[in-house]
Amino acid sequence: MTKTAILIGSGTSDAKTKDHKTHMDEFAVRVRDISKIYKTGDMQVKALDKVSFSLKRGEFAAIVGPSGSGKSTLMNLLGTIDKPTSGEIYIDGLPISKMNGNDLASFRNKKLGFVFQAFNLITGMNAEENVELPLLVTNAHSSDRRKKADELLSGLGLGHRLQQKATNLSGGEQQRVALARALINDPVLILADEPTGNLDTRSSDDVIKLLVKICKERGVTIIMVTHNLALTKHCNRVIHIRDGKIEREEVLS
Amino acid sequence: MNAEDILRLSYHDLAEKKVRTALTVVMVVIGVAAIVALISLTEGISATISNELSSLGPTTIILSSTSSSGFTSADTSQISSLPDVNTTIPILDGSVYVLSNNQNVSATLIGISPQGLQQLLSDIRIYQGTLYQDSVAPSALTGYSVAFPTSASGKQSVFVGQPVTVKVLGKNGGSYTIPIIGILQPYGSSIIPVDTGVVMSLPAAETLLGKPSFNIILVKATNTSTVSQLATLLTDIYGSRARVFDTQQIAQTAKQIIGTISTFLILIAGISLVVAAIGIMNIMLIAVYERTHEIGIMKSVGFRDRDILSVFIVQALLIGLIGGAIGIGAGLAGPYALTAAVSASSSAPANSSHAAGGGLGGGGGGDFVFTSSSSSGSSAAPSIQPVFSVETIAVALLVAVLVSLMAGVYPAWRASKLEPIDALRQL
Repeated sequence: MTKTAILIGSGTSDAKTKDHKTHMDEFAVRVRDISKIYKTGDMQVKALDKVSFSLKRGEFAAIVGPSGSGKSTLMNLLGTIDKPTSGEIYIDGLPISKMNGNDLASFRNKKLGFVFQAFNLITGMNAEENVELPLLVTNAHSSDRRKKADELLSGLGLGHRLQQKATNLSGGEQQRVALARALINDPVLILADEPTGNLDTRSSDDVIKLLVKICKERGVTIIMVTHNLALTKHCNRVIHIRDGKIEREEVLS
Repeated sequence: MNAEDILRLSYHDLAEKKVRTALTVVMVVIGVAAIVALISLTEGISATISNELSSLGPTTIILSSTSSSGFTSADTSQISSLPDVNTTIPILDGSVYVLSNNQNVSATLIGISPQGLQQLLSDIRIYQGTLYQDSVAPSALTGYSVAFPTSASGKQSVFVGQPVTVKVLGKNGGSYTIPIIGILQPYGSSIIPVDTGVVMSLPAAETLLGKPSFNIILVKATNTSTVSQLATLLTDIYGSRARVFDTQQIAQTAKQIIGTISTFLILIAGISLVVAAIGIMNIMLIAVYERTHEIGIMKSVGFRDRDILSVFIVQALLIGLIGGAIGIGAGLAGPYALTAAVSASSSAPANSSHAAGGGLGGGGGGDFVFTSSSSSGSSAAPSIQPVFSVETIAVALLVAVLVSLMAGVYPAWRASKLEPIDALRQL
């Protein structure tokens, strides 16, 4: 009896590993029929209505659409800081809905990188400390953390600004620090919400070029929300959203 | 997150808002300092009183007559026959003035046998001269403060071999010229105010005071465990004819009173800690509110609830530790400054000889005045030294930390439960 039980036990665990491996392969992101309904009083607002799409590893996708189309809602769901009313999102083959708060925090830490329109750096910290922030909740050694942060910042042209407080940096520099922070844990997916929205044209170009470079060199999947249709020429997939639905999907290359 | 990083983030937050942190710490400092100071002061007072009382002898019972007729030798033999009685010492006392070399010093005339004096003081230390004989002839020893009165700024006004005039107070009191054969060394606290006394044999004192008998019997019990039993027995026997004091009982009563007062005071000091706790909670809630956006950022990059929780809890702990440490320092320094100030102000108008002049068991009253005349005659009040114990310090620090911790839990919990999506929206 006992032996059989053990055998069955090991058999299932094998199957799990196998299952996990198959997910690892092709897609970085799979979105299956997700809907998001907000309830305010008696009113129900369908922010997303059965949205499905998939992104392969190393794809640079843009999500475009008018205000209120559901772009931000989609980003929040992909960023695991909000939950869909129905449907499932797989990131790196892992179903998000199965995870609790702590799992999600660890998941965000290991698999996701965020770049926000407002940079969202911690103002009291310098560039290095901001980039190191995600590594604080891992068991990385402090000297290794510092080294990795410095390398990333230098790679993004901020080698001379390491000790600067976030508030002393220009918008373009802040966004590059945010980019370094998003990259420090070697994420599968970077979520960029209007990353150039607060930047002048030149810094904006720099940031987009960096995103393209990261995508190509590191094979990181990037999803960028933007109003600026001109930026979509850098992407290889453009998802148009309107009224909570995917209006059309263009594949550029 | 490892401990070092938690500590660094917590400290970072506190250091960024220096004035606010300092003010929060001050709240804790005040509470802790008040508690440490009060505990150490009341312990000091309590220790001083027990010291004073224990010098009276733990086995001593004082039987003081409430009638003008006093006691007779029949009383002493009856008491001696009681169980657990070691010895009895009959004493007669009265208030007098000692006039010598232009000094008029109020003193207590004490009639006691040389053997009795020996038992009372355990050893008779004579500064100058010799001990008197157990005879009717009035020859006396004076206490140190009588020979070196404060009114003469500590200069000697009574000399061995020179007679002094002793003026007995009261309606039948006369003046007597008594030869002084010795001066006692200073004794400090005692049941009998030796330092302000004029000590002679019992029969001699009877003659001077015009009384046929004595008004006080000191009863020594065989050991400390039988004292209160014996005291009860004596109370039963004498009823309203005498008052019975045993030093242990006095000590206990004094301790109880001090205990009650100190508990009350410490409770009041505790209120300041409650206020501090509310202050800490308030400040931390503001901090959480201010940092909501940052908490959102931290959560989005993978900080778990417990990571956020620990950063804020450690902040509260730091406030408690720093405030507690400074508070203990202030609480230790405070009582010294206070006692120094008190003794400085009390030394000036000291008139110890007068205070002792009331004597003990005068007339039918039997009022005891416990005296403590120091040799220099500078201060009548025993100086109180604050008593600091490791326990007090440990408890104060623990209380400071616990109070801060309790105040910090709710704000920290609020911070940890913030939803990243809501937190990020807030700027």
